[in-house]
Amino acid sequence: MPPRARKSAATPPPEPQRPVVQLGEVVLEASSVTKRFGGLTAVSAVDFVVHEREIVGLIGPNGAGKTTFFNCLTGMETPTEGRVVYRGRTLTGKPHEITQLGLARTFQNIRLFPNMTALENVLVGRHCRTKTGVFAAVTRVPFFHQEERESDKRARELLDFVNLGRSADLLAKNLPYGDQRRLEIARALATDPGLLLLDEPTAGMNPQETTAAMNLVRKIRDNGLAVVVIEHDMKFIFNLCDRVAVLVQGKKLVEGTPAEVQADPRVVEAYLGTPATGEAS
Amino acid sequence: MIRRFLRRTRARLHALAVPVAPYRVPVAVLGALLVVVGSWSPWATFSGFAGKMTLAYPGGARLYTLVLAAAVALAFVPLRGRRVAGEIAGLGCLGLALLTTLAIAKEGGGLVNVAWGAWVTIVGAVLLLLSLLSLPEEEGDEPARLPDGPAFGQLVGVLAILVTALVVVVEGLEIPSAGQFLAYLAFLGLLAAAAAKLGVFEWLQRAAERHRMITLTAALLAAAAFPFTQDGSNEWVRVGCSVGVFAAAAVGLNIVVGLAGLLDLGYIAFFGVGAYVGASLSGSPDSNVRLNLVFLVVIAVGAIFAAVLGVLIGAPTLRLRGDYLAIVTLGFGEIFRIAANNLDGFAGPKLTNGPNGIPRVPNLNLFGFDFGESHELFGITLGYFANYFFAELVLLAFVILAFVRLNNSRIGRAWVAIREDETAASAMGINTVNMKLLAFAIGAFLAGAAGTLNAHVTTQVSPDSYRFDESVLLLAAVVLGGMGTIGGAILGSTLLLVLPEKLRFFQEKRILVFGIALILMMRFRPEGIVPNRRRQREFHDDLSGADATSAPPGAPVVST
Repeated sequence: MPPRARKSAATPPPEPQRPVVQLGEVVLEASSVTKRFGGLTAVSAVDFVVHEREIVGLIGPNGAGKTTFFNCLTGMETPTEGRVVYRGRTLTGKPHEITQLGLARTFQNIRLFPNMTALENVLVGRHCRTKTGVFAAVTRVPFFHQEERESDKRARELLDFVNLGRSADLLAKNLPYGDQRRLEIARALATDPGLLLLDEPTAGMNPQETTAAMNLVRKIRDNGLAVVVIEHDMKFIFNLCDRVAVLVQGKKLVEGTPAEVQADPRVVEAYLGTPATGEAS
Repeated sequence: MIRRFLRRTRARLHALAVPVAPYRVPVAVLGALLVVVGSWSPWATFSGFAGKMTLAYPGGARLYTLVLAAAVALAFVPLRGRRVAGEIAGLGCLGLALLTTLAIAKEGGGLVNVAWGAWVTIVGAVLLLLSLLSLPEEEGDEPARLPDGPAFGQLVGVLAILVTALVVVVEGLEIPSAGQFLAYLAFLGLLAAAAAKLGVFEWLQRAAERHRMITLTAALLAAAAFPFTQDGSNEWVRVGCSVGVFAAAAVGLNIVVGLAGLLDLGYIAFFGVGAYVGASLSGSPDSNVRLNLVFLVVIAVGAIFAAVLGVLIGAPTLRLRGDYLAIVTLGFGEIFRIAANNLDGFAGPKLTNGPNGIPRVPNLNLFGFDFGESHELFGITLGYFANYFFAELVLLAFVILAFVRLNNSRIGRAWVAIREDETAASAMGINTVNMKLLAFAIGAFLAGAAGTLNAHVTTQVSPDSYRFDESVLLLAAVVLGGMGTIGGAILGSTLLLVLPEKLRFFQEKRILVFGIALILMMRFRPEGIVPNRRRQREFHDDLSGADATSAPPGAPVVST
């Protein structure tokens, strides 16, 4: 049984006693979210809860509907059935309204504004938390300068936070791949979210970068945010997450602590298939 | 393919010049001497050719060859890109000499009528070019990045270029013959290209960005000086008025197209709405509205009316993207023109007088100042069009101010973000529909204001002035000049309006010529004549890295 053996070897020493029981308030609650595209049911009756200061992993084989589920949470797709509640408010509106409420996301295939500088990218994230209108912008009343200064300060702080302070004036498209991923996170953080949704934040990263990303996500959580992360890197998921949900063919298969999920035979089966009967002995 | 051909031809020429290499300096000196001698000698055996070619002093094309030959010296300046700059100047010198010779031969009826000065210049230019081509190959050859230098130096540079621009325009407009004007244009273009290869314009752009307000003010003052050079004549000041109005509209269109990335093919309709409002409320005896308001109120009404229309058109259509939006706006432009043609009391309410339009729009009268009279200022007579020209400049200044300030605010950033990636912009909390509507409305507002003023300049409005062609021409001005830049919109407008006036023979074919120019532009310089720095990097990936990393910290990338 090589797969099981290898996996348990890769697992770090037993979890440091994380008080799973003392969960904070519920931040996000999705109940029986279903999304159909014509005859295809991409997401099927998924229930999903995120608590305050929690890092939740969302894993599953390719095509399991993870990104579609994300899109349903952030308003980029409207769920066919079910509803999503964020801090007591049902999410129905457009993506920008949901972002204003406090959900921010990154994208699986990086979607920065390629021809804006890193700083400008983050400043765009400040858009929904600032108020300058056309009149104030054209007349340059003191309020404009004050808000612009604050935005600039916050954006630079965030760039420093993701360790991109020195790249502020580079065009986003000229940044190395890993930097682009981190810039996307900084841009999402600029919207002052309460819940951050990361879609494969370490895709294409080398082990050092992955470790750095892990520390970054922990730092974000320590700042009081809840994080949901889609990832294929199991080491990343099981080392980082407080809870892991497995999505297979649109349905939630298992949910639990990393240890529980790792031990669940159904998860192995979903990823690797059922062992041939003859070999079982 | 064309680039490869050019590169190969250049390599072959270089190979040809290899034997010259040891005698490079003497050959160059000899060539320069010959050009100087040639330019001080007669080129034609008969009088009547433009530029006083029989006399022994450098006039017309001879002056251009002389200056270009002097510019060849750039190749010996220790700067990157100098070799290409020198080659451009040298080739230009030879090309201009050859073309002028041919023109003289054609006009005189044969090569015998070309006097010896021309031949001397040609030989000199060839020698110069040979010595240039024998220069060793250098790394890159891409434009140099000139050091910024002290702020004072930057200011001097900006002011110098503005004064030069004024002199160049005034001189150019005084050239009587079309052929000589073309030679003048070619000469300017070659000099500019050589300077560009040395990174002069990038330096200027950075300088202008750093001292934005001073540059803007100085540019306006330079433009305001223009009527004073015209000896009270209205001819070119009138064209200047058209340029001003057109440029104001083009800068407004630049917000919609260049910043927010919305292709609007019916933009002239907003301009037309403003013009009709202006004419109707002006107190013209043919107006169907018996109202005569103060102009400052009228211009506000025209602008707001256009903006409201922009919102009405935009609200249902701005959910569309790209091509769909372009088609809808095109349709709206046509609707406006046809409506203006039909609101004549028969087919609809009597508002526009149909195809007759509203003629006899009176001259402006602001606070007792009559725009229809000539004035004398500093002892110089100004034709009455100068009054309108100054009014245009004030309007243009306002439009530019609005553009720059919106561009450098959260609103401008939101527009650019929408242009870059609408989905991501909306996920970052930007209400994309509202922001697009805002861009549309502000563009319409500025066009409406420009149109209102224009009704008084042209003294009449009629539906035929607001055809689809005009929208395309405006768009061409923006694209040709450079999307997302003010300098581009103004330069594009100037070229599109002044050239047909100056080159009568091409007036009928101007759309054709501009079409060809646009195609060539898209092939070789898609970012426009005056590129937005961001756009330039977008199109030429190769120079992005170096440029970006060497940008001084804190320098705004948003170009004016």
